[in-house]
Amino acid sequence: MNGYAIVLASEELEKIQAASMIGSVAAVSDVPVELFVTMNALNAFEKETVENGSFVVGQVGEYMMSGESGEMSLFTDQLAQGKEIGPLSVYACSMAMDVQGKHLDDYVDVFDEELGIAGFLQHAADKNVIFI
Amino acid sequence: MSEEIQADVVVDSRGATCPGPLMDLIGKIKTADSGTVLELQTEDRGSKKDVPEWLDKAGHELLDVVDQGDYWSLYVRKS
Repeated sequence: MNGYAIVLASEELEKIQAASMIGSVAAVSDVPVELFVTMNALNAFEKETVENGSFVVGQVGEYMMSGESGEMSLFTDQLAQGKEIGPLSVYACSMAMDVQGKHLDDYVDVFDEELGIAGFLQHAADKNVIFI
Repeated sequence: MSEEIQADVVVDSRGATCPGPLMDLIGKIKTADSGTVLELQTEDRGSKKDVPEWLDKAGHELLDVVDQGDYWSLYVRKS
């Protein structure tokens, strides 16, 4: 198993949570994971969005945010935990950042670095790609 | 028999939903010595099913699952 390269393009909280759950559990199981956050998905990683909890949510997301069904770790915490224990790298798409005039400092501290498409393809070359 | 299992390490993940309990257990099991018995406490029904799947793949031994009433104890021996 060479691991997974996960492309996260959606800003829907449920999809971001799914990506972070799959990625972090795989990584702590010693399966290498490269997570590339691009397009609107980056919006959910902005500090202000995370602080205010102002995510794009559907029905499941509303339940998750309400806390009624138990304490669910937010994707930011899951990714931090995954990086701490296993081979998980998280990259921010430089193109999506550029078009919005954003810098890494605008996002929560889970990114290893910003990366272009060619750079990500290098990281993903030997991995199973999951697009979310 | 299950009452006789003495855990060396207790991982209290009550209140956390999937995959929190599994992540907590893996974090502890990675730093434990071989042969260490861990007790994972969880209220999450999904984790009760999912954790044994991970243990099977990772090669650790599931000693027992005990229904404690309002939570489950999963006893695990690190390989």
